[in-house]
Amino acid sequence: MCKYQLVIALTCALCFSPARAQDKKPPSTANAPVSGQSRDLSGVWMLDRPRLITVVARYWTYEFNPQEPSMTAWGEAQYKLTKSSFGTRSYPVAETNDPVFQACTPPGFPRIFLHPLPMQIFQTPGEVTMLFEWDSVSHPIHTDGRPHDKTLGPLWMGDSIGHWEGNTLVADTVNFNTKTWLDRIGHPHSEALHVVERIQRIDHDHLVDDITIDDPKAYTKPWTGQLVFVLKPTWTLAEQFCEEQDTFGEIENKETAPAK
Amino acid sequence: MRNYPLGVALAFALALSFSSQAVPQNKKSPEAAKAASIEQAHDLSGVWMLDRPRLITVVARYWVYEMNLEEPPMTAWGLAQYKATKSSFGTRSYPLAETNDPIFHTCTPPGFPRIFLHPFPMQILQSPGEVLMLFEWDSMRHPIYTDGRTHDTTLGPLWMGDSIGHWEGDTLVADTVNFNTKTWLDRIGHPHSEALHVVERLRRIDHDHLVDDITIDDPKAYTKPWTGQLVFVLKPTWTLAEQFCEDQETFDEIENKETAPGK
Repeated sequence: MCKYQLVIALTCALCFSPARAQDKKPPSTANAPVSGQSRDLSGVWMLDRPRLITVVARYWTYEFNPQEPSMTAWGEAQYKLTKSSFGTRSYPVAETNDPVFQACTPPGFPRIFLHPLPMQIFQTPGEVTMLFEWDSVSHPIHTDGRPHDKTLGPLWMGDSIGHWEGNTLVADTVNFNTKTWLDRIGHPHSEALHVVERIQRIDHDHLVDDITIDDPKAYTKPWTGQLVFVLKPTWTLAEQFCEEQDTFGEIENKETAPAK
Repeated sequence: MRNYPLGVALAFALALSFSSQAVPQNKKSPEAAKAASIEQAHDLSGVWMLDRPRLITVVARYWVYEMNLEEPPMTAWGLAQYKATKSSFGTRSYPLAETNDPIFHTCTPPGFPRIFLHPFPMQILQSPGEVLMLFEWDSMRHPIYTDGRTHDTTLGPLWMGDSIGHWEGDTLVADTVNFNTKTWLDRIGHPHSEALHVVERLRRIDHDHLVDDITIDDPKAYTKPWTGQLVFVLKPTWTLAEQFCEDQETFDEIENKETAPGK
């Protein structure tokens, strides 16, 4: 599906003279890291349950790891202020102070992964673009060799650059604003947040994102989670605009109605 | 970020395949040259910015709020809709706080084709089955499916419509239907109904310019189809920035003013 790969394959194949068919031996994988099947990450993907884990609750729709990350004092304080509609200490939607529910504020990154709506990856030579059905949010990962852009102000989705290690896309994202929750349960992050992802297509139908959260202001050490996506070959991203959802309409109406 | 080298690489590969030697040829065969040319013509990708229309003498910068300088021929219904609008653009403009433009008060999506007129960059990403337009304004997305599918009649009315396209030579013909009625056609308040049918002929007339000849066909709002022309210039060093409507101070000010107690 990726023109780039086809061209590379075609030109490389033609570099060898026809009389000398190479009998390629796969390189030794004794010490090599596990790597994906191919560099083609494109398609429409849907968040799936993590593999090889026994789980009690569907934590992957609201946080990256069922284990509580180790928070700093500041981080703990932020977390205690949040009233999420998810997890064990959840509040009803009308009582939550989740910025997404209150004002259709953008969920930001990496929280956007947890909203269980499809995600489409578009690949071009210099960019891997993640498009999210939720509120039409987009997250470009620039793979054209550029460094982080220090002139950009703090961003909702961060500034993301990536490079390939074998068939693993390593994406590095910095420069976040402080208007978002890290996830849907209210875990905090600061402007110092640094997200590193290792994204691989482990087989034709599965994409795995090993995500590292590194934020020394909010957490005592970096911690990781794993997101698994399954390919949806017949799906297309639908329109989804937060302002349209009935839930938000109801909350807004309730908030602006005169006190009784 | 440019796909241009892909076409050259493909042409090179094709040229090699026609040669009996492994040494690269200096001359491309006619087939390879034609393939390269079509490949390039079908490449609309890049970051584009709305530019002034070519070959037209203009008085006002109409292309930032409407698609044609001439008033389109409206039906009685269309004219009634138009008269009810209070736009902040054009000759009969209202101050921002007094406009009833749905975008200004509630960050409602601009919809299609209005989104073209918001003077922010537009990025085209292309894959074999899809030409995707990404707009910096509020992260709007407009996919044109070129994989041969027909319009999806199961879809409810959409803000951006349902768009399918096919190539006629070097022109992408995109056909969009299935619109909701929550948007203005443009930024000056021209109307449209659910019957709106937009046909575009998109052509990259040279490396740096993309021309979209757009036809508005809406028998409920207009007495006959009418056309406009949008011209985009390539911005090779630009990247789409984040832009979320809710972030803009203007909207906050208007909202705060509206919810403040009456004086």
